[in-house]
Parts: sequence; structure tokens; C-alpha cells
Amino acid sequence: MAGGTVLVLLALFSLPTLIILIPGMLPTGVAKLCDRTEQHSATFCVGGLNICGVFPYLMKLWTDNHSIDAATAAITDIFTMLVIYAAAGFGWLMYSVVPPVVSAVLNVLAERRVSVLKTTQVAIVKEWGPEVALMTEPGGQPPLPPNA
Amino acid sequence: MAEQPLEMEKPGADVPSRLIPPAETNERANDDGLLPPTQQQPVIENRDGPIVVRELYQVDADRRLPEFDQPSAKAFFVENRHDISQKLFALACTPGLPVRIDIIKKMVGHYYPGLLTLIEWDVVYWPPLGQSTLVVIYESPLGGRVLTRLSTQETKITEYDVPKKVAEPLLEAIHTIEEEVGPHRAIRADNLYFLDEDLEEIVLGPCVTSPPGFDQPSLYEPVYRAICQPEGRGTGDSRDDIFALAVSIIHLVIGRNPVAKIKEEKVLHNRLENGSYEGICNNIRLPLALIGPLRSMMADDPSIRWTYEDADSWAKGEMVETVKRLPPIKADIPFRFRKREHLTFETLCWHFCQHVEDAARVIQGDEFANWIKRHPSNLGLLQTIRGIIQARNFFEDSHQGSDAFMLTKVAILMDPNSPIQYKGLTFMPDGYGTLLGTIWNKEGGPQESADILNHDIASLWFSGHERVGQKLLDARKNFDQFRSLLSIKDPGYGLERIAYASCPGLPCLSPLIVRHNVLVIEQLLPALEGSAVSADTSSNPIDRHVAGFIAARFDSDTHPHLKAFASPKEDTSTIGMLSLLALLQWKLRSPPMLALSSWVGGLLGPAISAYHNRQTQEHLEREIPKLVRKGSMPELFNLIDDSEKRREDHEGFIAAQTEWLAAEEEIRSIEGADEERVAQGELSGQQAAATISILLSLAVISILFVTGLG
Repeated sequence: MAGGTVLVLLALFSLPTLIILIPGMLPTGVAKLCDRTEQHSATFCVGGLNICGVFPYLMKLWTDNHSIDAATAAITDIFTMLVIYAAAGFGWLMYSVVPPVVSAVLNVLAERRVSVLKTTQVAIVKEWGPEVALMTEPGGQPPLPPNA
Repeated sequence: MAEQPLEMEKPGADVPSRLIPPAETNERANDDGLLPPTQQQPVIENRDGPIVVRELYQVDADRRLPEFDQPSAKAFFVENRHDISQKLFALACTPGLPVRIDIIKKMVGHYYPGLLTLIEWDVVYWPPLGQSTLVVIYESPLGGRVLTRLSTQETKITEYDVPKKVAEPLLEAIHTIEEEVGPHRAIRADNLYFLDEDLEEIVLGPCVTSPPGFDQPSLYEPVYRAICQPEGRGTGDSRDDIFALAVSIIHLVIGRNPVAKIKEEKVLHNRLENGSYEGICNNIRLPLALIGPLRSMMADDPSIRWTYEDADSWAKGEMVETVKRLPPIKADIPFRFRKREHLTFETLCWHFCQHVEDAARVIQGDEFANWIKRHPSNLGLLQTIRGIIQARNFFEDSHQGSDAFMLTKVAILMDPNSPIQYKGLTFMPDGYGTLLGTIWNKEGGPQESADILNHDIASLWFSGHERVGQKLLDARKNFDQFRSLLSIKDPGYGLERIAYASCPGLPCLSPLIVRHNVLVIEQLLPALEGSAVSADTSSNPIDRHVAGFIAARFDSDTHPHLKAFASPKEDTSTIGMLSLLALLQWKLRSPPMLALSSWVGGLLGPAISAYHNRQTQEHLEREIPKLVRKGSMPELFNLIDDSEKRREDHEGFIAAQTEWLAAEEEIRSIEGADEERVAQGELSGQQAAATISILLSLAVISILFVTGLG
């Protein structure tokens, strides 16, 4: 609803901007359609970098000649579109590469933690003997000591 | 063991103050004012040197003095190292046979008129036996044995000499020691001595080398004690001594054993049938003046037998009413059992109990029923006996259905005064302890004695007595206590405890120390110390006998220690063993026990393992050898059972367990959440990528704005 209103307003008052935005932000739209997650991370990721690609041409339009001809000329320039879509592609690339990297980092951290815990257990067993580890059922009661 | 070092380390000097309350450090556990046994020092078997008692009396095992022999003890020459003119003799007792240690402790060093003075006692290594034994030292009677002097006709005792020369001094002796230490119970003609060389003063000989009445020929015992086993005749009282004195007088006056030519069994039969006086004096002629007093002193019924006062009055020439002869109640027709004819219940009952199976068969027969029915003493007896037989048939599968049980009940019914007779044992209630102690190591063991308690035979016997005096009540109470002790199977209780509690003169029968003949608690640790050299040190120094001995003979409360010792947990049991030994060493102020400490130290593994902390365990393992070298078990105990250390260890262990468990839980949580972690990583990565993208776009837009507007 809000998007529609923005489009109508843009069409009425800033048609050249809309002429650049619609084809320029096409990858973001596709990302929005493909991204079914609650966080819409893909949309934000692609959209953010897509904006980075579109914004220089919008700035040029707004500051030089805000006309339909200038907008059409910009949008039909293959180099312009290459820059815009490359930026959006970089967004897609980031969205594909960063999560596995984060997962790998988390795995390394977990393995490091397990290693530290196992070292602690070995030290405990060395100080108190293997009977300290006899009770392996989590949540159970520790055995009573001999009552001499 | 016989030789002791001249200088001893001050007792208790090495005992840690932590274990000894400050108020008690100057106390000396010697309430009776007597010297403790020299076995406070470790037992060292002196096989070659002289046998020395208390560092003063040198016993010559090669010089026998048979004139002073007792049936259970041989006499040897003794020399007082400080006074060689003192005439003494030593009696070496039979190892393993209970002695009268309670009386020895009271009599030693005390002079009693009419009695040989007991000078000293000790348990010493006796080379001829190859083990330790009790040696008691007596003053030597200068005139020798009375019977010997009479047989050599060096002197003569006539009927006129009896009251003043024999009866009066000996009655005084009987009375005095009864009051102060207990009955003599070894009065017989061959145990009378002339104290002086002039053969004027007659005294009683030793009485401590065997259980009461054990050495007595049956002739000298009142009839119901006479038919008992010698070890079960019981402590008795001065009335039994008066009986024995009367028989001794007869022997002295006629110059021979009055029934020497008659079989013992026949004499006992006659005594049971006709009364002791008639049974013994039937074939001899006694001076008329002695007949009444002797019959009165030999009355079989203790309640009518002359007391000390009666006999003493007679000895002093006063007129005393004599006991009238009551004719025994006899059947008109004899009952024949195993080729012997019986006219009285007493003889038949005694004979029955000697042949249980035959008697059980006869009792159920018509012939016996008819005889009982016609017997003048039958007062509803037959009906009761039939009831007993029916009960036996009803309880066929239990001990109550046995011939022995039935016969015991019948015997108590027919002759309530007879001793307790069950499964071949015949004893008086006050002789149970010595019976149990004496037969423990004999063939068959103590099982029958235990059955007396298990089957509550004593209660049957007591229920057969209408007149219940204080002594019977005490005896009954004792048996009740024995039964409750028997029901506890832990070490320190059971039949062993009963044996040591009921027979104070029974040496410890533990195989570990039996050759040390340990009689009193002070001798126990030194004996264990002596055994430590040769014993299997992987075994426990406290077995059931040692535990029972300690529980019965040690005054302190040993219950908590015994409870710990009996624990099925090895570490608790080990600590219980150590605490018991430490308590003994501390309370008795025993000197260092190096070998025993080493033995015990080698067994402390489970107690050390009770600590969880490995550093604590290593510390204990380092410290134990140091304390072992000091021979101090209290210090060992304090090291092992430090409550603060134990608490810290326990708390530390619990904390370590909790920490270990928390780590384990975290590890499991991490290792069990791989997929989740991957999903989480994906999500986080996506969010990170989106954030980076947004931030990048904001940065680019800002830069373009700034540069574009500029």
C-alpha cells in the first residue's frame, strides 16, 4: 500500500526518478519476491547494494537535468545498467558467502570450547580420581562419601 | 617376655594431645591399685634365659616341686632375687584352661588367715611348653602337704583335733575369702598344707589355677555339682566349700579316701539315691562326735546345710542343732533302665540324661508311665510328661521336637534341682561361662553350648524352680543378656563375646595370639605386637576372638568402634579396626608398637582410598611410614581420620563432581547441537550480510550527497 502510494507520488511529481528506479531496482524486487524469510535478509542485502549502484545516477539526474530524456538516456546506457546490476549482484554474492563463513567461525568457537571443557575434566579426574566421573547421567545426585 | 628392660619410656609420652583430653593426661588406669601385667611391653620370647616374673622372681623350670602340684598346674622352684631366704613355689598353669584371674587380682599380695598367700602372678613365656602361660607364685608351706605328713605318720589328726586344728582355721579362711574375693572351690584333703614346720597350722592350698571345682574329685562336690562336667560345676558359694571341708575332714580322720574302692558312678548313684553323707560314709566308721556335724555340713539341700556360722559355732565348741536325716522318697518297685535299677527320680533322671535316645524311647512307653504313676513323688507328673511328649510330636521339625529337648524338659520336671542337662552338656547355671570357655577348642566345638542359648534351655531350667533367690535372678539375667549378645552376628558380639564376658579367666583364643595366653586386656597389644613378626600381615589383626575379647574385657565404650569395624564397607571397617587399636593403646598407655603399627599401616589402603583427593592420598602415603616408625596407632588414627580433612575432602569432591558434570553437560550440549548451530550460523550470516549491505549503502549515499552537493 505504502509502496504503491510512493510510486504514484513519484509518477506525478518525479517521473524521471521513477524511470531510473524501476529498472534499476529490479534485482531488489526479484530478491523481495524470492526471499520468504521473516528477516528478509536477502532483500536488505541485495537492496542495500542495489541502491549503492542506482544512487549515483539518481544524484546526477537530480543535480544536472531532471528530465525524462536524461533519465531515459541514463537507463538505456549499458554501462549504467552494468554498474547498477553489478552492485546488486555483489549484494547477492555477499548474501551467499557470509552465512557459511559465520557458521564456520561458530563451529570453530564451539570446538574450542569443547576442548577447554575436556581439559578441565581431565584435570578434575587427575585431582580427584576417576570416581568423580562415575556419575554420567546429567541431573542425577552425586554419590555419598564413605561415612567413617 | 619374661625379661623386661629396666628403664621404660614414660607411658603415654608419645600420644598426641589431640586424642587425649587434657584433663585425662595425668590419669592412670589402675583403679584396683595393682600393678598392670608386665606384658605392657611387647612380647619377646626369651627361650634361653631364666624365667623371671615381675623382674623379681626367678622360676627354675628344671626344678620341679611335685609336692605342691595341682591337678591342673605343675609346681616349680622360685627364688626371690632380692631375698633368697623367702620360701616360694610357682605353679605353671595349663595354657588354654580358664583360670580365676578375677580372684588372682584380688588375692595377690594379701594375707588371708588359713590360706596360702598368693605372692605374685604373671603370664610368662614357658620354654618347656613353647608358649606363654600363667605363673602364680605362692609362699611355700614349710610343713608340706598334710596328707603326705599323715601317710608318713609324722603327725596325726584325731577326732579331738578336728574342731580346733582343722575346722576352725579353715572355716575362717572360707568365710574371709568368701567375703572378700569369692568361694575357694578347691578344698580337698590333698590341697591342705601345714604352714609351719611344727605341723600345727593347717591352711588351704591354691584355688586359682583352674575353674571353680574343676580340680575337685566329684567326692568333694555337692551332689548336683558333682554330676556336672568338671568345667561346668560353677562358682558356687561358701556352702559348697563347707561341703568340701566336711569331706576333707572325713579323709583326714580316717586317713584315706572313704570311697576309693568304689566306682565313681556308683558313688554318685548312691549319693543321689540316699544323700551324700550316706553315699560317702556308708562303709566307714566315723567318731560319734563328728557324725552330726559332718552330716549337717554335707546336707544335699543347700538351704538346710550348715552355714559358716553354724559350723564355726560347732568348731568353737558351742552346741548347734544338727541337720536331721530325712529318708529319701523311693518307689516300692525299682525301674530298670539300661541294666540299672532306680528307686528315685534323681538317679533315673541323671541316668536318662546320659543316654538320650534310649531314655526318649523309654519315656514314651507304658512301663515308665506305670512306674511314675505308682511313685510316691508323683503329683500329676505323668500328665505333664504326656504333655511334653505331645509337644515334642507337634514340633517335630524344630529343636523342640528333638529327643534332647524333650528329655531336658522331663529331667527338669522330675528333678528340678538337677543341673542343666542338654545335648550331653551337664552344668550349673553359674558354670556356663567356664564350660563354654573350656570346651571351645575341644572336639565338637562350642555348638552345643550355643544351642543352650539358642534353644533357651536356661529359661526352662529356671522355670522349674519355685524358690528364686537373688543368685538365680542374677543368673537368669545373665542368660538373657547372653541371648541378646548371641543374636548379634557382628564381630565383638556373638558367642565369642559371651565366652570372654562370662569367663573372666579365659585367655584369648584367637589363633593369632593363642600361644601368648592373653588373659587381661593389657596383654593384648603386646601379644599382637609379638605376633606381628610371624603373622600373615595381609590378614586383619582383629578377628572375632580378639574383637570379642576387647568388647568383654575393655572398660571403655567400644560400641562405635566395633560398629565401624563390622561395616561391610572396607574403608569404614579398616578405620574401625585402627580406631579400636588406637583406643587400646591410648587408654592403656601402651608403649610404641612398631611391628603392630607396621602391620596395621599395611592394611590402611582402603582407608586412604576413602579420601578422593589424590594429593591428600599421596600425603597420607608419605606420612604413614613416619608414624609407623614411631609405633603410635593413636597418631596413625588421627592422621587417617582427621575430621576436618575428611570434611574438606568430601566438600571438594562434591564440588569437583558438580564441576565435572557441568562440563560434561556443556560438552554434550555443544556436540549434540551441530545442525542447530549450522542453522544458527546461516541465520546470523544472513543478518550480518544484510547489515553490512545497509551500512554500505548508507555510507555510499552519504558520500555521494556530500560530494554531489559540494
